[in-house]
Amino acid sequence: MAHRLLRDPEADGWERSDFPIICESCLGDNPYLRMTKANFDKECKICTRPFTVFRWRPGRDARYKKTEICQTCCKLKNVCQVCLLDLEYGLPVQVRDTALAINSNDSIPRSDVNREYFAEEHDRRSLLPGYIKVGLAFLSEMLSQCHAGDISWCIWVTWARAGIDYESSFGKARPNDTILKLQRTTPYYKRNRAHVCSFYVRGECTRGAECPYRHEMPITGELSQQNIKDRYYGNNDPVAMKLLNKAGEMPSLMPPDDESIKTLYVGGLDDRITEQDLRDHFYAHGEIESVRMVLQRACAFVTYTTREGAEKAAEELSNKLVIKGLRLKLLWGRSQIAKAELENHDDEAARQQALAHGAMLPRAVISQQHSQHIQLPGTLEQPPPMHYFNIPPPPLERGYYPSMDPQRMGALVPSQEGTGNAPSGSGENKSGSDKQPQVFPYHGMPPPQGQYPPFYPPYGYMPPPPPQHYQSYPYQHAMRPPAPHPTTHLYPAGAPGSSQNPPSGTPSSSENPPSGAPSSSQNPPSGAPSSSQIPPAGVVNASQS
Amino acid sequence: MPKIKTNRVKYPTGWELIEPTLRELEAKMREAENDTHDGKRKCEGLWPIFRIAHQKSRYIYDLYYRRKEISKELYEFCLEQGYGDRNLIAKWKKSGYERLCCLRCIQPRDHNFATTCVCRVPKHLREEKVIECVHCGCGGCASGD
Repeated sequence: MAHRLLRDPEADGWERSDFPIICESCLGDNPYLRMTKANFDKECKICTRPFTVFRWRPGRDARYKKTEICQTCCKLKNVCQVCLLDLEYGLPVQVRDTALAINSNDSIPRSDVNREYFAEEHDRRSLLPGYIKVGLAFLSEMLSQCHAGDISWCIWVTWARAGIDYESSFGKARPNDTILKLQRTTPYYKRNRAHVCSFYVRGECTRGAECPYRHEMPITGELSQQNIKDRYYGNNDPVAMKLLNKAGEMPSLMPPDDESIKTLYVGGLDDRITEQDLRDHFYAHGEIESVRMVLQRACAFVTYTTREGAEKAAEELSNKLVIKGLRLKLLWGRSQIAKAELENHDDEAARQQALAHGAMLPRAVISQQHSQHIQLPGTLEQPPPMHYFNIPPPPLERGYYPSMDPQRMGALVPSQEGTGNAPSGSGENKSGSDKQPQVFPYHGMPPPQGQYPPFYPPYGYMPPPPPQHYQSYPYQHAMRPPAPHPTTHLYPAGAPGSSQNPPSGTPSSSENPPSGAPSSSQNPPSGAPSSSQIPPAGVVNASQS
Repeated sequence: MPKIKTNRVKYPTGWELIEPTLRELEAKMREAENDTHDGKRKCEGLWPIFRIAHQKSRYIYDLYYRRKEISKELYEFCLEQGYGDRNLIAKWKKSGYERLCCLRCIQPRDHNFATTCVCRVPKHLREEKVIECVHCGCGGCASGD
């Protein structure tokens, strides 16, 4: 092209730019980046026009990267100049176009002359000041509204005229499910690693440790057959095929058979995500009974008041729960029975040790203590409950010591009237009625009783032996009653003291027998709130995941 | 027509002691010059030349400044005859440049960001522990290494 030598490159529409249009992954994680710029250094790998090549090293263990296609081409498809992935979602062109049901191809000419003319026209158009463009777009929109009465049709026309006019379509095309499922939320720096050493592959690399390329065998397969033009135009892109297949095969969450499970497990949290964020995301699908965050395990449990809400949330949020740019894992909570049995078998020993103190008590008494969340001096090995809600524990529990409880060793007290001074006695009925508002401080209403089928653990409780040495309790180990193996749990569910974690599936009210009635089932006559210490469904998952 | 004397060089005393070594290095240099570039990377072609030039200069420098075994006259003679690189030796006398590999590696104008070569970076400061600089194949010539 000799005439080019005689002409001004600017007039010829050669690209000269000050900064590349690149995605975050390609830019790398180093905030102190040094870039070199070379005007008209290489030809664009799509349109073959000369363009400004930038070159930089995106991080410590990265290879040098450089821009591969010109900015005109990159703007036509809204892709990164380096990796040709969509700038907004980080997805291949084919995936994006399929997911959004747009076709950005047919408008871009493939033949040399047409392509060059088209690119120049596009550049000229994009040189117009923004407001004029907006005005024009609006005008054409109005016109087309007159004709077709369909704004989206007009937008489509605009796209078709010059690839995808992303500036005007920005914010209009909402990312749909496929994109939400597939898009990356964090930059993927692994892509910037050094290439595989081709000499090593042939077995003749002599550089050894000095070799800056990776000494690995390349991964062969379908994905290794990529081609920059196919990726740009979005045909036969193996990566896109794989992603689309993956999106199609992503399993939706199957609601568990146990209808009492209304808890969803959210995994992969970090400290950026607050409980309020979770509430904001989950509230749209139903009323939330509680949100419990387990920071140590980086997970949370969201309990809905209704099963429908939980199912709806699981269906709509699975695989695409992204909060603050963090992709979270969503699963169903596990059944409480499973948890109880699991704990029973697995870490009974550890549990017994943690509750060394409590092991001397009859099991029912232990459970009762835990349901009331008394911090016995001996049980302090387990961390004191944290108050997620920053609510001080109800004052009722304040001055309460084990020794103040006449029923502690399982003594039979007819009803709560008889307990008199002993605050909060151990009447399970009381804990059912009084404490409900404290347990669910933020939800206004206690969970409807009907939602909680009475549940009695299969292993049942044996009636505690009659208390022999009530007063001497903690210090006379010899007097230890023959306790049946305690099946206590570290996380007392309906404990009022644990108002920080409003128990998900632990309805102390519903499970406990009505007030004075020494329940018909295996419940000990006195104050053993039978299964109220069965942990919320959430805890099950916590130990699992 | 009188015969032109081409061999007017007057060798200072002590020359015969260092001559074999210098001749040997010269021979090596000639061999490196005539070596083929087959199988070498583009940048690797000149590495042996740089290395042997460094070796020759280093020999003369050591004899005069370190071991003090040759006279100033012989030292000057060697530099004049081109057995050593006067500019490189001049750098070696500066602190921080005692082990400099070649002059290209400290030429900021030849580098993208007006810096020096990676081989000038002390080992504990750089991420890649094993390097070969692109100019002369140096594996690190910072003073502290």
